[in-house]
Amino acid sequence: MGVLDPLKGFGITFATMFRKVATEQYPEDYRPTEQRYHGRHQLNRHPDGLEKCVGCELCAWACPADAIFVEGGDNTEEQRYSPGERYGADYQINYLRCIGCGLCIEACPTRSLTMTNFYELANDDRQNLIYTKEQLMAPLLPGMEQPPHPMRLGEDEQDYYVNGPELARKAQEEAP
Amino acid sequence: MTEPVTDPLTPVLTKRWTEPDAWSIETYRRLGGYTALPKALRASPEQLVALVKDSGLRGRGGAGFPAGVKWSFMPKDEDKPHYLVVNADEGEPGTCKDIPLMMADPHSLIEGCVIAAYAMRSHRCFIYVRGEALHCYRRLHNAVREAHAAGFLGENVLGTGFDIEITVHAGAGAYICGEETALLDSLEGRRGQPRLKPPFPAAAGLYAQPTTVNNVETIASVPFIVNAGSAWFKRMGREKSPGPKIFSLSGHVEKPGQYEAPMGTTLRQLLDLAGGMKDGIPLKFWTPGGSSTPMFTAEHLDVPLDFEGAVEAGSILGTTALQIFNETVSVPWAVMKWTQFYEHESCGKCTPCREGTFWLAKVLERMVDGHGTEEDIDTMLDVCDNIFGRSFCALGDGAVSPIQSGIKYFRDEFLALCEQNKAERELAGARA
Amino acid sequence: MTTVEETTQTPVPEGHVRLTIDGREVIAPKGELIIRTAEREGIEIPRFCDHPLLDPAAACRQCLVEVEMNGRAMPKPQPACAITISDGMVVHTQHGSEVARKAQEGVMELLLINHPLDCPICDKGGECPLQNQALRHGRAESRFRDQKRTFTKPIEVSKQVLLDRERCVLCQRCTRFSAEIAGDPFIELLERGAHQQIGTAKTADAEGWGAVTPQGQPYQSYFSGNAIQICPVGALTSAAYRFRSRPFDLVSAPSVCEHCSSGCAERTDFRRGKVMRKLAGEDPEVNEEWICDKGRFAFRYVTADDRITRPLVRENGKLREASWTEALRIAADRLAEARDNGGVGVLPGGRLTVEDAYAYAKFARISLHTNDIDFRARPHSAEELDFLTTNVLGTTPEDGVTFTGLERANTVLCVALEPEEEAPAVFLRLRKAARKAGTKVVHIGQFSTPAVDKTFGTLLACIPGEETNAVLGLREHAADVYAQLGEGGVILLGERAAEVPGLLSTVAGLARETGAQLAWIPRRAGERGALEAGALPTLLPGGRRVDDTEARAEVAAAWGLEALPELAGKDASAILTAAANGKLHGLVLGGVDPDDLPNPELAREALARAEFVVSLELRRTAVTEYADVVLPVAAAVEKSGTYLNWEGRPRPFDIAIENTGILSDCRVLDTLAVEMDTDLFTQTPQAALADLDRLGTVEPPVAQPGWTIEFEGEGPPKSPLRHGKARLATWHRLLDNGSLQDNEPHLAQTARETVVKLSTATAQGIGVGAGDPVVVSTHQGRIELPAEIADLPDGVVWLPANSGPSTVRASLGVGHGDLVDVRAGGGE
Repeated sequence: MGVLDPLKGFGITFATMFRKVATEQYPEDYRPTEQRYHGRHQLNRHPDGLEKCVGCELCAWACPADAIFVEGGDNTEEQRYSPGERYGADYQINYLRCIGCGLCIEACPTRSLTMTNFYELANDDRQNLIYTKEQLMAPLLPGMEQPPHPMRLGEDEQDYYVNGPELARKAQEEAP
Repeated sequence: MTEPVTDPLTPVLTKRWTEPDAWSIETYRRLGGYTALPKALRASPEQLVALVKDSGLRGRGGAGFPAGVKWSFMPKDEDKPHYLVVNADEGEPGTCKDIPLMMADPHSLIEGCVIAAYAMRSHRCFIYVRGEALHCYRRLHNAVREAHAAGFLGENVLGTGFDIEITVHAGAGAYICGEETALLDSLEGRRGQPRLKPPFPAAAGLYAQPTTVNNVETIASVPFIVNAGSAWFKRMGREKSPGPKIFSLSGHVEKPGQYEAPMGTTLRQLLDLAGGMKDGIPLKFWTPGGSSTPMFTAEHLDVPLDFEGAVEAGSILGTTALQIFNETVSVPWAVMKWTQFYEHESCGKCTPCREGTFWLAKVLERMVDGHGTEEDIDTMLDVCDNIFGRSFCALGDGAVSPIQSGIKYFRDEFLALCEQNKAERELAGARA
Repeated sequence: MTTVEETTQTPVPEGHVRLTIDGREVIAPKGELIIRTAEREGIEIPRFCDHPLLDPAAACRQCLVEVEMNGRAMPKPQPACAITISDGMVVHTQHGSEVARKAQEGVMELLLINHPLDCPICDKGGECPLQNQALRHGRAESRFRDQKRTFTKPIEVSKQVLLDRERCVLCQRCTRFSAEIAGDPFIELLERGAHQQIGTAKTADAEGWGAVTPQGQPYQSYFSGNAIQICPVGALTSAAYRFRSRPFDLVSAPSVCEHCSSGCAERTDFRRGKVMRKLAGEDPEVNEEWICDKGRFAFRYVTADDRITRPLVRENGKLREASWTEALRIAADRLAEARDNGGVGVLPGGRLTVEDAYAYAKFARISLHTNDIDFRARPHSAEELDFLTTNVLGTTPEDGVTFTGLERANTVLCVALEPEEEAPAVFLRLRKAARKAGTKVVHIGQFSTPAVDKTFGTLLACIPGEETNAVLGLREHAADVYAQLGEGGVILLGERAAEVPGLLSTVAGLARETGAQLAWIPRRAGERGALEAGALPTLLPGGRRVDDTEARAEVAAAWGLEALPELAGKDASAILTAAANGKLHGLVLGGVDPDDLPNPELAREALARAEFVVSLELRRTAVTEYADVVLPVAAAVEKSGTYLNWEGRPRPFDIAIENTGILSDCRVLDTLAVEMDTDLFTQTPQAALADLDRLGTVEPPVAQPGWTIEFEGEGPPKSPLRHGKARLATWHRLLDNGSLQDNEPHLAQTARETVVKLSTATAQGIGVGAGDPVVVSTHQGRIELPAEIADLPDGVVWLPANSGPSTVRASLGVGHGDLVDVRAGGGE
C-alpha cells in the first residue's frame, strides 16, 4: 500500500461529485418511460364509445400469474356494451400478481387490452391493487358515448371489426 | 336373328312416340302393347329374372348395374311385402328421355311394371315422378286408370290370380331424390336425403321392406325383351352393354332430340343423325351422360358410347344425355353454371358435398368475374379431390366431374381468366 | 389362411372377429363399428357426427379411413363410424394411410370454410371438438378467400336452448338425439345444401322459408340439455351458462343428481365456490350419458338470496341470528324438555342422503327416545309402510329391478307412475327398451301422456283412485298383458300409489301371482335411502323391525344402549295430528314443505301448536315462520354422502364445493345430540356410513299374505260428471314450483303449459271448449286454468300438482282420486 493510495481513493469520490448524477428526482421529476414499456393495462373502446372487450377470457387464460379475472355477459338490444353478442361484464386485474409480461395483450383478439406506460402501481392497501373494470376502461374521448348504447357505426359487429381502422381515422378527423 | 344390327337407328322404346294419341291404351294395344304381359304371367318369376339376366339389360339410370342381377337380390319368399319403385325423378342436366317416354308411351312403362313386379313377387309398385313434370304425372295417372279398367292392373290380373297396384307419386323437385335411397325417404314422406347402406334396398328399402328401384327406361325395356327374347336384345349394342338406348342430344346441333340407337354408337354417328353441328360451328366440348359425367372434346367423337367405352375414354356413360357445345361457349362459364346447379341441389347431409360445392361455386363465380388467380385453379382441383369419393352419395362425385375434366382439357381458358386479373393487379401495383 | 397359421395364432372367441388396424392385429366383438374397435386399441379417429349411443349417420365424413376387405381394398375411403368390422378386415387410419390422412384434412378444411371465427366469444371455446381437431389435424391457413355463409345469430330453439346456425357443422347429433333418445323430434334439418340448418317448425315460419309448415311448436323437451352437451361445436348453447366461464376457470367434480330417485351421474363444474353448470356423467348402469334438464339446470337454489348461513333463534317472536353454541344449547335444552313433557316427532323429509337419514333415525331413538319419525313428507298410508317393509326394503340391483333390467323385460307395467315427469332416467330406459328391444310398455293412468306415446306404450285408462280395480281387472280385460307379466315382466309403482287404497297390496299380489318383478320408484332422491336407514316409525336401520325384540336388542347393543323405545311410532300424519292436539310437544323437521303434506292445514296447525320446533334447512321456508331454532345445513354440492336410488344402488358422491363452512345434517344432529348428552357418532358422513355398515342389514321380512286378491272384482265404476262433481287426477310435473328449481328463469320457461285437462264430454258438460277457462274448486279454494282436451275418462279432470297457479294440495286440500267441483271459469 503506497502513501498516496488514500488520496487516490478520495480523488475518485471527489471527481464523482462533478459528474452528472443518475438519480432521478421522483416524484417531483417524473420521467416518461420508453414507448413500449409495459405499464398499467387499459381496456380500449371503439370510436363510438362501445367497449372492445368481448369478455372472452383469453387474457386470463394467457396470464402466467393468474392475475386476471373476467366474466362475460350477454349484450341485449336494451343494454349494449360492445358490438356483437358478448361483453366483459366483470374485469379485474390484480396488480399484486401481475408481472407485466404482456402475454395478455398478445392474447387479446380484439385489441381491447393494451398496456399504458403508467407505472405508479403502489398502494398501502392490498385491496386497492385489484383494479376493476371501471378503473381499467379507457377514458371517453370526444365523440364517444358512455355505454350502454346501440351500435352507432354499423349494422353489426362486422362493421366494427372489418372497417375498424377506417372508422377510427374518421372518428378522429371528425372530432373537434 | 343373331347377326348384329347395323342400322344406326333402332326404334324400340321410341317406335310408338310419333303415332297420333300414342299415349292412349287403344294406340298402345293396336301397336302390339300388352302382348308381353300374358306371356310373362304364364312364366314363373324365376324364369323372368333369368330372362332379363340373360338379355344383359343394364340399368338405364346411369350406373349400369345389370337389371336381372338386381332383381335376383329380392328375397324368394313373401314373408314381407315387396316393393317395386320406378325412379322417374329425371333431373340430371341434359337428360330428357324418361319424361318423353312417359308422355308418349306411358303404357309401355306400366306393362313393364306389372311384369317386373310379378318377377319380384311384388304387389305394389310406386312410380316416383319428378314434381315439375306435372303434365307427365297427369298422363301417367290417366294411363294407370286405363290399365285398371282394362284389367291389366288391380286384383287378379288377366285371370292369373296376380294382384298389382301402381301408385304414381309426384316428388317435390329435388335433384337428390333421384338417388335411390333418398327417393325412398322422400316417398315415405321424409326429408329426401340418402340413407346409409347397408342395409340395401333389396333387404330394407321402402318402409324397411325389400325393394327394388329401377329406372323408367329399364322397366320399359322389359316387355320388349319378354316379347322378342334375350337373343334379339343382344343383337343390338355391344357384348357387355347390349340393347338400344335413347340418346338425348341437346345444345348446338341442328336437330336436337331423342335418338334411339344401339349401345356403342358414337357421337360422330349421332351428329350425322342430328344434322350435324348447328350453323356448322365446330364442336368444342360435350358430355356423354349429363353434367355429372366428365366432359369430352372433339377428340372423343369416335368413342363408342356404351358403359365400357365411356369409362375407357375417361368418363362414364351416365344417362346418355349428350350436351353439345360449340366453340362460342366458354368452358369456365359452363362449368360455373353446372357447379351452381350442384351447389343448389346438394342435399346438405355430408360435409364434402355441402361445403365443397359451395366453395367451388364461389371460386368459379369469382373467376368468371375476372377475379380468379392461378392458385385458385390448384385449390379447386384439390378441393375436387377432397370431395370425390369422400361424399356420402354420388352427387359429390358428379359435382366435381365438370371441374376436373374442364380444367384437364381447357386449363388455358381458366388461366386466361386469371391472366386478366393478374394484369389488372400489376397495373394497380404500378399505379400505386 | 392356412391351418398351420391358425394354430400359431390366438384363437378367436365365439362371436368375435380378427382384423388388423394400422398393422396391429385385433380381436373384437362381431358387429362393432371400426371407430369403436380402434378407440379401444388407443387409435383415435377424429369424428363429429358419431356418438356411441346414437345410430350412425356417416354425415360429417371426418372419420374416413381406408378399408381392405377379403384382401381387396375398397375403392373409396370409408366412414369408420358406419362400417362394422368383419373377419380379415384391414383398416388403415390416418396414422397409416396417406389417403385417409388427406381425406380427413380435406373434410376439416371444408368444415371450417363456413365456420365463423367466433372462438373468443363462443361458450364451447376451450373444450370444442372442432377447435381441438382443427388445431391437431387442420391446416394452419385457410385457402377460402370468399364470403362465408351467414345467418342471424343466435335464435331461440327454446327459452333454454340457443342455436347459432353459423357455427353448426350439421352433424345431426341433436336431431338424432331428440328423435331417437328423447322422442321429442321438434328440431329438424331445414333447407338444403349450404343453407341446410337446424330449426324448429317455428323458425321455418319465422324466416319465411317453410311457407307450408304448419303452426310451429317450440322445442319442448325435458332432455334438451343433452343436445347442448353432445353438440361438437358451439352451435347449441344454454341460456343459463351463456358466457359464464371458460373450461380453465372451472373445477370439475363428479357428483350425483339430488333431484329424483334415479341417482344419475353428473359432473359439477364450479368457479369460485359457485356452481356454474352441471353436465351428464357417464354411467352405463344408470343414466348412460343422459340427464334431464332439471338435473342439469336446477342448481341455483343453493345460492338463493334467502339461503340461511347462520343459526337463527326465535326471541320475542322474532328470529335473530345466533352463534352455533347458543342455538344448539337452546335447541338441546328445549328439545329435552319437550321430550320429557310429551314427546318430540321427527320429520326428516325425503331428500336426505343415507348418512343424514341415519343420523335422524338415530337421533330420534337415542336423543328423543321415540320411534315417531317418518320421512314421507307427502301423502302416505299404513298400507304403504307395510308394502315398503315387505316388498321394497333390502332390494338391491343384484336381486331387484334395474335400469338395464328394464331393457331385458318383455313387458313393463307402470302403475300410478308418470316416468317422464317423476323419474326421467327411467323414462329414457323404457323408451330405449321399447325402441331397441321391443319391450312392451303398459301404463295404468288417466290419459295418453307424452310418455305413453314415446314409449310406444299402451294406456289402460281408469278413473283416478280406481287404479286398484284396474289392476284387478287385468287378467280379465287385458289377458295378454297379464300373461306377459309372467314371462319376464316388470311392474313399476310410483309414489302416488299410496293415495289409492288397496293399490299397493294388490300390485304386490299381482307380482307374486304372475312372478313379475316389482319396483317402487319414489319421486325424491332420499326416500329409498331413508327407508333403509330406518327413518320410519316401524323400522330401525338395516331393515330391522321395531316390533322385533331381537332386532331391537341388536341395534341397542350396537349403539351402546340398554334398550330402544319399544312402541311403534306414529307416521307423519299421526305425528302432525298429535302435535296439533298438543300431545306432542316438539317437532324436528328437515326439508319439509307443509304444502307437500297430505293436509297442509293440519301441518300448519301442528307447527303453530308445538311448543318447540327445530328446523334444519337450506333456505327460509314456510317452516321457518314457525321454527324456534333454525339450523343451517349443507346443500348436496356442499357435502359428501350417498343416495340410494330406486334400484337400491348406492350412489356415493364427494364434496364438490369445499370450505363453505356449512355442515351436513348428520354433523348438526351429532352436535345437537352431544348437547343433549347422547352420542350419535355421525360427525361426518363417512363416520355415519361406517356406523350404519357396522350395524349391517338383516334379511328383509317375508311378506305376510294378509290380503286376498279378488279377481272377480267389477271393472272400474262409471262416474260421469254429476252435479258439477268430477274425480281429480293429479301428479307432479318434472318442472314445476319445486323449491329446488328456484332461481332458474330459463328452465322454468321450458316447463309444460299449466292447464286443466278433461275429456271432450266433460268439457261439453260444463260448456267449455279448448283454451276456455275452467274452475276446479273445493270447499277450501279454487284453481282457474285454461282447458285442454285430452283422452281422459269422462268425469275426470287432471291438474298438475304444483305448477304455476295449480297448487292442488295447498289451494284445494285434496289429492289424486278425490272429488272436486268443476265449472266454466271466467266472467267473475
